Amino acid sequence: MLKNIIVSAFVLLAATAAHADVDIVGTVSSKCVIQNDTAGVYGNPTSDKLSTLPADGGVKPIVRFDVSVANAYKAKITYPTSFSVSPSLTDAVVWSGSVAVSKVSIAAMSDYDTNKVTYDATSEYALHTAGSTWFETTSAALYGYSKSLPGGTYRAVVVAECIAN
Amino acid sequence: MRLLFVTLMLLVAPPAQAHEMTPSNPELMPAFVAGLLKTEMSIFNKRADVEYYEIGVFDKDWKAIPFVTSYRVLKIEYLTHAKFDVYIREQDAKRAVYLCSLSKLRPSTQRTANVSSKICSRFK
Repeated sequence: MLKNIIVSAFVLLAATAAHADVDIVGTVSSKCVIQNDTAGVYGNPTSDKLSTLPADGGVKPIVRFDVSVANAYKAKITYPTSFSVSPSLTDAVVWSGSVAVSKVSIAAMSDYDTNKVTYDATSEYALHTAGSTWFETTSAALYGYSKSLPGGTYRAVVVAECIAN
Repeated sequence: MRLLFVTLMLLVAPPAQAHEMTPSNPELMPAFVAGLLKTEMSIFNKRADVEYYEIGVFDKDWKAIPFVTSYRVLKIEYLTHAKFDVYIREQDAKRAVYLCSLSKLRPSTQRTANVSSKICSRFK
């Protein structure tokens, strides 16, 4: 009799455990993340020039796009065409620059540079493969005609955009 | 050995400098005020160098569309989320295509070429 009661109690406990609630937790994460990989620095190779080229003593800014859905986003990267911070400049500044893919996480992304669309200072890439892409930007500013850049702080901004299709 | 390597990499790796915004395809729903539509967005600030993000709504030609949020420039501390509602008039909703957040950079004392990140979601 006692044995039957114990067995019944275990069966009831087991049945209770079988009805335990199970939570389903989900997190919606961003499908496109812009990572500021390397901050750029201007070198000052000559008195009238600022450049991010390593040969000029600069550091190229590198930005990484992490995309988790293929064909869902495009990347637009614009190199600077003006200073956001600078001393008072009395002459014109001639800007130049370029954007290029420096590294990819998936081999299929190797055609990004070939297929990019460039207009003005902007390069536009169709991110057709999920994964990470590193874009490096070069920027140079040449001041006036045989004039030296005045001393002070210079700052320019590269704009990296991730736009949903 | 592998675990040690991964641990070392995590310790040595520089802090992430990322900007995230969700959802990618927000849906405009009726708000509590007649004639207004609303969507809820979230930004995660993983950029230590950025504290402020500017919100903008644009049409297909990147022309600005009027909208309302609690603040057009949101202060978001490093490694925190900010949720915000965006309200658009029904008459403007058909033109609204992109909802963007743009990081606002602080002035620094160095000769720098820093990156301003902009993420644009597209309305359903």
